[in-house]
Amino acid sequence: MSESIISVRNISKSFGGRKVVDGLSLSVAQGEVFGLLGHNGAGKSTTIEMILGIKKPDSGEAHILGKDAASARKEIFEKVGVQLQSSAYQAAIKVGEICEEFASLYKDPADYRNLLEQFGLLPLIKSPAMKLSGGERQKLSVVLALIGNPEIVFLDELTTGLDVAARREVWKTLKELKSKGMTVFLTTHYMEEAENLCDRVCLIKRGRKVTEGTVSEVVAASPYDNLEDAYLWYMGEEVM
Amino acid sequence: MKRFFTLYKIEQKLFFRSPDVFVFNLCMPVAVLLLIGFIAGDKTAGGSDITYIQSAFASLTAVGICCSAFMSIPIVMVDYRDKKILKHLYCSPASPARILAADTLCSGVMSAISAVLVAASAVIVFGYRMEGNPAIFIGAWLITLVSMFSIGLLTAALCRTTKSLNIATTILYFPMLFLSGATIPYELFPKGLQIVADVMPLGIGIDLMKAASMGQDMNGSLVNVFILAVIAVICSTIAVKTFRWE
Repeated sequence: MSESIISVRNISKSFGGRKVVDGLSLSVAQGEVFGLLGHNGAGKSTTIEMILGIKKPDSGEAHILGKDAASARKEIFEKVGVQLQSSAYQAAIKVGEICEEFASLYKDPADYRNLLEQFGLLPLIKSPAMKLSGGERQKLSVVLALIGNPEIVFLDELTTGLDVAARREVWKTLKELKSKGMTVFLTTHYMEEAENLCDRVCLIKRGRKVTEGTVSEVVAASPYDNLEDAYLWYMGEEVM
Repeated sequence: MKRFFTLYKIEQKLFFRSPDVFVFNLCMPVAVLLLIGFIAGDKTAGGSDITYIQSAFASLTAVGICCSAFMSIPIVMVDYRDKKILKHLYCSPASPARILAADTLCSGVMSAISAVLVAASAVIVFGYRMEGNPAIFIGAWLITLVSMFSIGLLTAALCRTTKSLNIATTILYFPMLFLSGATIPYELFPKGLQIVADVMPLGIGIDLMKAASMGQDMNGSLVNVFILAVIAVICSTIAVKTFRWE
């Protein structure tokens, strides 16, 4: 395996006495699409937030590109793009304006018009961001994550709440990123999505790692032949 | 700097698109000025020796400050926190402080436009001429702005939810708007209400601006300057220390 550009060692985090992440370790290699899978409340978002330095782990450490994101923020976030779960935009802001704002944050931003074109959003450049459909809005959040020309993108439940067609379309764009060698760290609770996109997955339950590996390894180590049944089996739920 | 200006420019456009800002910050003070001016412009206000239009000029140029400080600033900051816009800026090489600074500047610019509209209406429609030195008046207006904005920033820092913010802005905004002499002429207040206005931060600022606009001896208003400065220092210090962008 090539050098890991995200490495997490034994991180834990509690909120109000409840352990949300419990001794989790993982590593992501350059160019890999890595999926962190688990139920709602399993600690996926908290894990991402600790890696990004938004939340401080109670113990353990997380590094991106060999550095602690909280202390090397300026440097790290020139190379890391982020899509946050259920984020929204300013009232009345237009698609082009939000892109211009995000481009102004980076030293050497990508041309957002090219990105909008690539994601089929260029005709909507003058539309208010809040008027976009669910799929368009999620594609816009990927555009925003890519504006800084990142080496790594974090996508937190990018396709939650989208209809099947919109989800497929977002997948298509993610596959394009993958083919360009982008490292992607994503969380999802759609197993079909993980099967389609991820090189490797890590299943967590109540903040602890249950299993980790390529999709075929994870499926092969279970009594089932697809990731969804295997996932339920790992999570200790009844498989129908 | 250029990158900050890009952000500022877009946020400023959003301010102009907000109907609340347009109505309360820009239209309302001019409308009140026209009403007071047409009803009683040249008459002396209450038992004082200044006319209604002289009183209204000084107080209505402060209404924009009131709207920006107690509505725009806290509402925008809490809204951006709720929408995770601040969190998103944390995950960039810039910091949430940049957008907060840009929006505070936008609020300042809206207050200034509001004051200019009131001043222009007073001069053009009612032939108002300032007795005092306009430079001293602008100084008084600026220190009032800084002091009120610090209270607005503190409100944004202390309110964790939209609900608590709505309560806080209602408690701050409406009394300041109506009881500090900003819209209803101070000179018309009974003695008891005048004391209320005298202790309100915005009332202290308006008193200072009135003294400056009337060309009074500013030594008598030094205590106002002192109180406004103390408010600014205390509130902005606590705001910076307690602000959470998440």
